[in-house]
Amino acid sequence: MSAKTDIKRLDQRPMHEAVLSKNKFRILGLSMDQIIHYFFFGNAWIAILVLGLITFSLFREGLGFFPQNYENLQMYRQCGLEFVDIIKDQAEAHSALTQYLDKMLDRKNGELRKGGMDEGKIAEATAPLAQFRKDFDESSIPLQDFVRELTQQAAAVKERWGVAKENSIAREQYLKAGSKDEAAKLEVETVDFRKESEALKAQIPRLVEINQTLKKRLGLLLLEFPASDDPKLKSQAVHFKAAAGKYINAFPDTERKLANWSYDTTIPVHETLTRFLFGPQWVTQSFWQDWYGMVPLFVGSLAVSVVALVIAVPLGVGAAVYINQVANIHEQNLIKPFIEFIAVIPSVVLGFFGVAILGTAIRDFSNGILFDPAWVAHLPAFIQWLPSGLNAAARTLTSWVPFFPISERLNIITAGILLALMGVPAIFTFSEDALNNVPKSYKEASFALGANRLQTILRILIPASLSGIISAVLLGFGRVIGETMVVLLCAGNRIQIPDFTQGLGFIFQPVHTMTGLVAQEIPEVVKNSLQYRALFMLAIMLFLISLLINYIAQVFVRKFKISVG
Amino acid sequence: MKKSILSLILASLALLPAVKAEKLVLKGSDTLGAKLVPQLAEAYRAQHPGVTFEIAAEGSTTGIAAIIDGTADIGMSSRRAKPTEVATAGANGVKMFPTVVAWDGIGVIVNTSNSISALSKRQVEQIFTGEVTDWSAVGGKAGKISIYTRNTASGTYADFKELAMSKHDYAGSAQKMAGNEQIAAEVGKNPSGIGYVGMAYLKAPGIKAVSVDGGLPTQASVQSHSYPLARPTFFYTKGAPTGLVADFIHFVLGADGSKIVDQVGFVPMK
Repeated sequence: MSAKTDIKRLDQRPMHEAVLSKNKFRILGLSMDQIIHYFFFGNAWIAILVLGLITFSLFREGLGFFPQNYENLQMYRQCGLEFVDIIKDQAEAHSALTQYLDKMLDRKNGELRKGGMDEGKIAEATAPLAQFRKDFDESSIPLQDFVRELTQQAAAVKERWGVAKENSIAREQYLKAGSKDEAAKLEVETVDFRKESEALKAQIPRLVEINQTLKKRLGLLLLEFPASDDPKLKSQAVHFKAAAGKYINAFPDTERKLANWSYDTTIPVHETLTRFLFGPQWVTQSFWQDWYGMVPLFVGSLAVSVVALVIAVPLGVGAAVYINQVANIHEQNLIKPFIEFIAVIPSVVLGFFGVAILGTAIRDFSNGILFDPAWVAHLPAFIQWLPSGLNAAARTLTSWVPFFPISERLNIITAGILLALMGVPAIFTFSEDALNNVPKSYKEASFALGANRLQTILRILIPASLSGIISAVLLGFGRVIGETMVVLLCAGNRIQIPDFTQGLGFIFQPVHTMTGLVAQEIPEVVKNSLQYRALFMLAIMLFLISLLINYIAQVFVRKFKISVG
Repeated sequence: MKKSILSLILASLALLPAVKAEKLVLKGSDTLGAKLVPQLAEAYRAQHPGVTFEIAAEGSTTGIAAIIDGTADIGMSSRRAKPTEVATAGANGVKMFPTVVAWDGIGVIVNTSNSISALSKRQVEQIFTGEVTDWSAVGGKAGKISIYTRNTASGTYADFKELAMSKHDYAGSAQKMAGNEQIAAEVGKNPSGIGYVGMAYLKAPGIKAVSVDGGLPTQASVQSHSYPLARPTFFYTKGAPTGLVADFIHFVLGADGSKIVDQVGFVPMK
C-alpha cells in the first residue's frame, strides 16, 4: 500500500526526476546523461581539433616559402639577373614612350576615320607622326641588342647554377641510397659568381657609349617632332617631350646604379616577406626569374568583391527593409524563400552560366548587339525591323561609353555580377536580423511623433540597425572574397593589376584572384616546390583576410547590441 | 551461425583477387589525356575486355610527379622530364623511362574573322611577350590583341616558351586557361584573340591556324620536322614497361594505335 502512494503523477514529480527517471540503463558504466554529455563535449572538441590541425598544416606548408624564396632572390642577385634588369628598365622606359606615341597615333587615326576620311588620306595626314614614331622606336635598337646579349649571358650563369644545384641534390640522394658509382658520375660545378659578375660589370662602358649616342640621336629627333594644330595632340606632344626629357636625363642614374651594383650585397631577410606582400608581379615557371608578389591577385580579388558588393548591398539591404517593414505576409512568404533559394544554387552552375551566357551577352551589348544578327536574318521580313532597330539603338547608346566596345568576355564585371547574386542571400538574411533586433518601441515612438513610414525607416530603423547592417555587408564580403568557382571560370584569369587610368572602365578587364589561382594550380604544381609553397602562402593570406573580416563584423555586432540597450 | 557468416566473408575476400579486373592508371598531360588517350584506351578495351582505365589529365607535371610517387602506371607528358625531376625520381628509387608515343605540332590559332594568316616566329614571340599589343603592328586590322595561354603546370605552356618565345616570359596581359579546349573556345569567340593548341584541337569552331615562318602544323610538316613548333609527346613509366603497361604501349605504337593517333590529329611515330 505504501509503495503505491510513492508513485506520483508526472505533474506532481520534481522536474529533474520527471526528465531523468528513465535513465536506468548504463553502457560501459556510463549513464545516459553522461553519454550525452561526452557526445557533445567530444564533438565540440573534435571540431576545434580539426580546425587547429588544418591551420597548423597550412602554416607548416606555407612558411617553408620564405627560406626558399630567399634563395630564389639571392640567386637573382648573385647570377647577375638583377644587374641586367637595371638596363632592362631603361629599355622598357623607351618602349613605354613608343607606346605613348602609338596611343597618340591611334587616337588621331580613329578621329579621322570617324570624320569619314578614307584610309589613304588618313595615312597621309598622320605620316609625319608615324615616321617620328618609327624613328623613335628604331633609335633603341642598339640598346635592345645590348640587353638581349646581357640577358643571355646572365641566364647562362643561372642555368649553370641550376644544373649544378640539381646535380648536387641528385648526388646527395644517390649517396643516401648507397649507390656511390652513380654519385661519382655526377659532376657538380661551382659557379664563380665573382668572376661572372665582373664579366657583366665590364660591359658598363659599352652601355655608357650606347647611351651617349642615343642621347645625341634623341636630342636631334625631338627637335623634329612634327607640329600639329590639333590642340589635343599638341598637349600630348608637350607631355611626350617632357617624359622623353626625363627619360634621357635618367641615363646617368642607370649607369651609376650599375656601377654601384654588387653581386654579394646581402639581401635583408624581411625582404622575402615584403616582396610577397607588396610585390607587383606574380611570374612563375620563368626561364629568367620567378616573382611571387601577391598584389595583382589581391587587387583582383578585391576588385571583383567590391564590384559584387556595389551590386549586392543595395539589393540585399533594400530587400531586407522591404520584407521587414513594408511587405505583407503573402509577399514575405513568396520573396523570402526565393532569396534564400539563391544561396543553394551551386557556384559552378552560376559560373557556367557566366561563361556560356552572361559574358558573351555583356560583350555583345558593348558592341551594340542586343540580338544576334544571324538570328535576326532568319526572322520573317516584316518583323525584322524591331530587333535591328533595337540593335541600332543599342549601338548609338553604347558608342557614348568611353571604354566600349570591350573585347574580353570574361572580366571583373561578369564575375562580379554572379558573385553579387551569391552575396545577396547573406546580406539579406543578416540585415533582416539586424532590423528585427530594433526594439518595437523605437518604431512606435516614431509613429507617435507623427512620422510616416518612410521617415521612420530612413531616420530611425536604418540608423538604429546600421552597425548590424554593416556587419551583414562585411559577412557578405567575406562570403564573396572566398568564393572560387565563379571567379575561376568568369574573371578571365589574367595576372595583372588592372589599368585604373581608364576610370570605371577597369571593370571590363580580366583579373586573376587569390582563390582562383590556388584552385587552378594546386592540383598541378610540383609538391614542395617554391610555387607550391607560394600557393599555400596565398591560402594563408585568404585565411587571415577572412579572419579579419569576421572579427570586424563581430566588433560591429557588439557595438550594435550596446546601442540597443 | 555467426561463425559460418564470418567464414563466408573470409572466403569471398580470398576469391576477390581472382575476379578483380586489371587496371591501368594514366595521369598527366591535358594535350594527350583529354582526347587521344581515352580513344586509345577505348580501342584497347575492345580487344582486352578485362582491362579498366583510370585517366586524369591535369598537366604534364602531374604525370611525371605521379610516376615518382608511384600513383600512376603511365605518366603522360608533352615535355621531357626536367633534371630535378629525374633526380627526385632517382632518390625515390624510380628510374623514369620515356617512350615517345606521338609527335604533336603546337598550332598558333586566331579567330576565323582575323585577316592574318601568316606570322613569322619573331612576330609570334613579340605578340606573346607583349612587345606588340596591336594587330596593326603585325599587318592586321587595328585592335588590341587578347592573348590566351595555358596554366603554368602545362607542358605546352613550357614547350611554347621554349619553341616559340626564345624562353621569354608571357606578357602580363596573357589570360591563363585550364586546357586546350578552353583556349580554342575563347579564341573562337574573340575576334582579337590569339592562342595556341595542340594539333588535335585545330578543328574547333571559329578558329584557324596561322602559319609560323611559312609552315602550318600538318602531318607532313611535323613528320619532316620542318614545322618550327613540333614536339614529341611521351609516356613515362617506372623503368622499362612490363606486363600490361608494355602491352598497352605496344598497342599504341602498333598499327591500330597509330591509326587512332592519326585520326585524333597527332602524328604517329612512323
